[in-house]
Amino acid sequence: MKKFLTTAFLFTLAAVAFAQGAPAAVQKSLFEGQFTAHIALAIAAAGCGLAQGKAVVAACEGVARNPQAAGNIRTTMIIGLALIEALVIYVLVAAFAIK
Amino acid sequence: MEHHPSLLAQWLTQILHLARHAWPGFAHGEPLSVLERYDHLLNALLAALVAMAITALVRKNLSRIPGPLQQIFEGVVEWLQGMIGDNIAHHGERYLPFIGTMALFVFFNNLFGLIPGLSPATSNWNVTLGAALVVFAYYNFHGMKEQGVGKYWLHFAGPIWWLMPLMFPLEILGLLSRILSHSLRLFGNIAGEHVVAGIFFGLMPLLLPVPMMVLGLFFGLIQTFVFTMLAVIYLSGAVSHEH
Repeated sequence: MKKFLTTAFLFTLAAVAFAQGAPAAVQKSLFEGQFTAHIALAIAAAGCGLAQGKAVVAACEGVARNPQAAGNIRTTMIIGLALIEALVIYVLVAAFAIK
Repeated sequence: MEHHPSLLAQWLTQILHLARHAWPGFAHGEPLSVLERYDHLLNALLAALVAMAITALVRKNLSRIPGPLQQIFEGVVEWLQGMIGDNIAHHGERYLPFIGTMALFVFFNNLFGLIPGLSPATSNWNVTLGAALVVFAYYNFHGMKEQGVGKYWLHFAGPIWWLMPLMFPLEILGLLSRILSHSLRLFGNIAGEHVVAGIFFGLMPLLLPVPMMVLGLFFGLIQTFVFTMLAVIYLSGAVSHEH
């Protein structure tokens, strides 16, 4: 299974590489330019989604168990979400910077 | 990032007959007028003027029986008071004018992205960096004023004396990187939202950008909240005495 996944991954990469094969004036490598930015942003967004999901689940459980603490939990959750989101925002800024 | 001058800047350039010329190292040498090159300053100034005009209007018409606008502003001030009171133990209310001004400035700038023809000044890093630097200078100044210069800086060295050479540079790095994270968070969120709304507008200008604009309103509010909240937390960390 692992070997199959590795092979599939390599084939996907190869497909992308072949798709890029149109002759350009300056041949760029695969991991140069906007492709890198897009992949990096996708990975960052996936991680951020997982992390924010965990944070929101914990906050929801907290509110469900103790509705009186809703205000404090909400404030803390928003701060935490902003700090998590900041990491994706850094990647987004880097993606803007990559031409 | 590509530079798209706001429609207002282009229009003012045409009305005032400003000369366009290339700016070295900016926007691939595209000819731009002064207003188009620095349109974030134009938008920031406009947002600040609007905020000042609205607050002046509320102040002029203060009454015992509050109107709708006064009620909104009373709610905002009470919310800020609550936030500062929760985080800063003693005499937090003296920081209210500064925190409130920052919050209003950021909020009006965020909302300017929703008006067609204008772009939010906070989608330019220079503006958010300026705001973050002002907050940084403010909380360091008040930290030194409250705790004394020596005690404030010694604070960063940690409680264990032989760890000082390790802790002090790390803490200073952390202090400086707060400027970056504080400004980049606001800038990235607003700029990203504006870019996505622009792409939606390009797909179909009618009705399609509306959900994105509603989200923009929400994000503008949330980012103002986060920016203000972090400023208050940094401030409380700087001015709090350890007993």
